[in-house]
Amino acid sequence: MHGDTIIIGEVEEGKVLPVTYELVAFARELSPGPIAIIILGRDMASAAGEIAQRTGLEVIAVEHAFLDRYSSELWKDVLTEILPRYYPHYIVAAHTSLGQDYAPGLAVRLAACSITSVQGIVWEDGAPVFSRAIFNGKLLMDVRPEGITVLTVQPGAFRPEVSERTAPGPVTRISIQLAPQAIVPQGSSSSAEEDALPLTEAPVIISAGRGIGKQEHLDLVYQLAGLFAKAAVGGSRPVCDLGWLPYRSQVGMTGKTVTPKLYIACGISGTPQHVAGMKNSQLIVAINKDPHAAIFRIADYGIVEDLMVFIPLLLEEYEQSSLQ
Amino acid sequence: MKILVCVKQVPDTESLIVIDQSGRWIETASLVFHMNRYDEYAVEEALLIKETVQRTVVDALSVGPARVRNVIKRALEMGADNGIHIALPEERYYDPLTIASLIRRYAHDQGYDLILCGIMAEDDLQSQVGPMLAEMLGIPCATSVISQRLADDLTRISVEREIEGGERERFELALPALLAVQSGMNRPRYPALSNVLRAKRQELITIDVGDMPHTQGQASITLRYPEHSQRGVLLSGSMREKAQALLRILHAHAFL
Repeated sequence: MHGDTIIIGEVEEGKVLPVTYELVAFARELSPGPIAIIILGRDMASAAGEIAQRTGLEVIAVEHAFLDRYSSELWKDVLTEILPRYYPHYIVAAHTSLGQDYAPGLAVRLAACSITSVQGIVWEDGAPVFSRAIFNGKLLMDVRPEGITVLTVQPGAFRPEVSERTAPGPVTRISIQLAPQAIVPQGSSSSAEEDALPLTEAPVIISAGRGIGKQEHLDLVYQLAGLFAKAAVGGSRPVCDLGWLPYRSQVGMTGKTVTPKLYIACGISGTPQHVAGMKNSQLIVAINKDPHAAIFRIADYGIVEDLMVFIPLLLEEYEQSSLQ
Repeated sequence: MKILVCVKQVPDTESLIVIDQSGRWIETASLVFHMNRYDEYAVEEALLIKETVQRTVVDALSVGPARVRNVIKRALEMGADNGIHIALPEERYYDPLTIASLIRRYAHDQGYDLILCGIMAEDDLQSQVGPMLAEMLGIPCATSVISQRLADDLTRISVEREIEGGERERFELALPALLAVQSGMNRPRYPALSNVLRAKRQELITIDVGDMPHTQGQASITLRYPEHSQRGVLLSGSMREKAQALLRILHAHAFL
């Protein structure tokens, strides 16, 4: 079978990452034609089996000892060798740290069109046009592809389908020859420190963005968190870059993905990177003085106010109401 | 070491952003522009290398209309040695492949050992020019780089790149290489007066693009405003009324 659309799946330590199934949902919306999924790694038998079982689609597992660890060189070499055998029209990757790293270079190598961080498909005369957020989500850019196209899809933008019971798809395992590389992977590490109440377990998260203006204003955010029985304080990437909060408090694509019962975004503009990490919170409240901030589009309740004035007033009103 | 830093000029995204008449780009006349925040980290990292590795030259390059000369000047003020302006004729959207092709055309025979750029641009969030440029030049590339260490013999560079959940991957790349750096890698400096004065006098190297490269790019783009999602409401009334309304909502959901 030759795929109209080839998905490049993500598998970590033998486990299929959920974003792989989001890519399947995207590919199904994109084209009724055949879809196949490529995964790369050392021993992908069980991951390939799982994907074939769950999706009913063809899975191509490319295996080599060197593929145990990711490197963009390696992935581009392997994919440039394997992909053309299947004549794909669309090559679909995730807009993760992995996809961002190899996909644009892969597109150059394949002389393909490259469109990144796609979050929607609109149709024009039966042809797909890919939508992506720009200017912190204030605008959408619709991109018409030209020829063979490599796409990276924003994580969280497409819901993985609940699998209907189908026969598992065929699994093809391919082993390949690899040349020495200009990039040598050297392993990975994580920052082990954790807070008493880790962000991912907090039922309530009060989150600070660059809109808080000064590090001292974080006090207000902590005071607001103090109203709740169990709340953690998080932040957007810029706030962590400024050193106002540690990186382990960062919510978003390069930080934590959280799904608290309540998320209060204080001075957060709502970039796609941040939204990807918190949009599945049960209740979202946003406070921002910029009425055009993208965060208001995903908030259940929006408050267009200067939070340096609003939060003290809110705390004062809370005091008064609890005295009554 | 010969280092190239690619910088982009972007509008302040907190401003009111309005789509222009063509529907293909934004009204730029009233916008305030500055250096892409991610590129500031790239400039700073180049300057940190210059401080430790003797005879390092840092070139700062930007592609765009005349307005982008301001960010090249800014890089010079921070401490870059030379400024290069690849001059585009019009104020409009140019896709990442076109930009990468233009940089390649200039950079391919300049003997750069290291090319630095930001992981993405704050305005169009594509994350493409860096990895595309590396591929066109046939050099290895790492994105989302949060730290680097040059080998003593300057033939290799060790990097950590940041991946999801705050984890880091480590790689060693043979030079020449390209790094697309993540924010937070360092603390970008403010210009020193001596560099400000030097930058004022210094001529930029200006390159007219002439014929545009033919690229298999994004065929066309249009911009639009997102539809207002029905998900939520904006609280109305005075500030005090909004505070009271929010407390009622939090009570109703049993958070307070």
